[in-house]
Amino acid sequence: MITSNLELIPGKRIVEHLGIVQGSTVRAKHAGKDLFASLKNLVGGELKSYTELMQEARTEAVERMQAEARSIGANGVLNVRFATTSITAGAAEILAYGSAVRLVDA
Amino acid sequence: MRLENRAPAEGINASDEHPLREFAWLAGGALAALVATVVAVSLGAQWLAPKLPYRYEARLVRDLPAQPPPTDARGREALAELQALADRLAARMVLPEGMRVTVGLRDERVANAYATLGGHAVVFRGLLSRLDSEDALATVMAHEIAHLAHRHPAAALGRGVAIGIVLSVVSAESGRGAAGAVLGQAGTLAALSFNRDQEREADREALRVVAAEYGHVGGAVDLFDAFEAMQRARGDGAATRVEWLRTHPLSERRAQAAREWAAARGVPVDGARRPLPPALAAMRAAGPARR
Amino acid sequence: MGALLELGWFLTLLAVGYGAGRILERRHYASIRRRERELADVLAFTMRFPPKTTRAQHAFLVSGTVVVSSDYFKTFVAGLRRLVGGRFRGYESLLERARREALLRLKQQARERGSALVVCVRFESTAITRGRVPSIEVVAYGTALVPQPR
Repeated sequence: MITSNLELIPGKRIVEHLGIVQGSTVRAKHAGKDLFASLKNLVGGELKSYTELMQEARTEAVERMQAEARSIGANGVLNVRFATTSITAGAAEILAYGSAVRLVDA
Repeated sequence: MRLENRAPAEGINASDEHPLREFAWLAGGALAALVATVVAVSLGAQWLAPKLPYRYEARLVRDLPAQPPPTDARGREALAELQALADRLAARMVLPEGMRVTVGLRDERVANAYATLGGHAVVFRGLLSRLDSEDALATVMAHEIAHLAHRHPAAALGRGVAIGIVLSVVSAESGRGAAGAVLGQAGTLAALSFNRDQEREADREALRVVAAEYGHVGGAVDLFDAFEAMQRARGDGAATRVEWLRTHPLSERRAQAAREWAAARGVPVDGARRPLPPALAAMRAAGPARR
Repeated sequence: MGALLELGWFLTLLAVGYGAGRILERRHYASIRRRERELADVLAFTMRFPPKTTRAQHAFLVSGTVVVSSDYFKTFVAGLRRLVGGRFRGYESLLERARREALLRLKQQARERGSALVVCVRFESTAITRGRVPSIEVVAYGTALVPQPR
């Protein structure tokens, strides 16, 4: 499944536009790691556990978007955009959305 | 080029799982984990705190203001009689090294008594006014001295601090909403069972001492019956019948336990009651305190 | 006594939140699916450039917004979930509903103004927390195109 935030993939031609597909997750890290992150707020620096969390969430959001695309017969998702919202303290939503298309070689 | 909007499959972004299943295992799991943590932490604190030599505990409270002695002559005599009774009972128990039992008398209507750090056992006038015999009074004193002998105040302090830390972490993590409050309450209830175990232990020790001093446990049974009567008179309602919400075992269970203890050891449940010493009897006759 | 009353009240709120919340959610999803079928002819894409066409187009901005609130049951489960980590299933369905609703309102507005094609669709979401119960606001906006008459 070709996934890109480009409008057009060089070397490929779009034959069908199949609509908007989205993938989103709302996740939190468990309390132990969250507590450690709070302590880290004293000294600053990268919060590795939160970086990990956001990374995992983003990957899963993209995978769900691709699953939606697959379910409508697409083989590519173009014009992908991300949006993040913080729902409550410690819980973040990652949204990935794009246009599902059917691509053939140009 | 074809343009179309096809509807994607359901269930990719939203789970089909029944929300009650998730609720059940989350709630059950969180509760179980919390109770296990509270129990483990309580046992640890309870085991550790009494290991600390008593002299550190004494030093801790040495600079705190002591209970002021009564202002009237009769009050001072009553206190002296209480102290004499306490010393007689304490001689039958094994106290930690360096501990001396100091009795206090508080001039308030509350029917209560407590033991606290530094070897202090305090009785309220409200309780005195409801006891008819020295036997019953001795049960109260022996119960509080038993708490001191087993270092229960120190254990309770250690437990309280440890549980406080656990609960504050839980409520910080689950936020200010209902989840944090519910888990906090559950943790507190788990802690109460440790309180009740300590009360039962103190009851048993008190029974042993009272039986040795008076030859029977009639005073103890009188005391627990008096507690039950007070409870009924207060009319607190159905919730007071539920033991797991209380810091002490139910009064009728304590009376029952006393009878069973006596039966198991062939100690008489009844016998002649010794009257209260003079100053204490006069105080009782004077009625409950002003406040 | 107080503790038992509090527990009873809490369980009542939880039951009401669960019962009413599930019913409302099911009805909302049914409504969403019905309107998605009705508005299937209004096309929406996130592509930035409209398909090349010889006819001039009349273009204007359309949007759809919605604010959906969590219920007592979902918020409670989320509180527990924060201890353990992982997916917030309740909030995920909440957000999906909000997004699909916002997109439907965008299509509805496009249709009302005579358009059957919306391009360059974007989503924005914000969390609003009133007290302890979070609400989500989702905005979907895009450019609607109407072919101009010859």
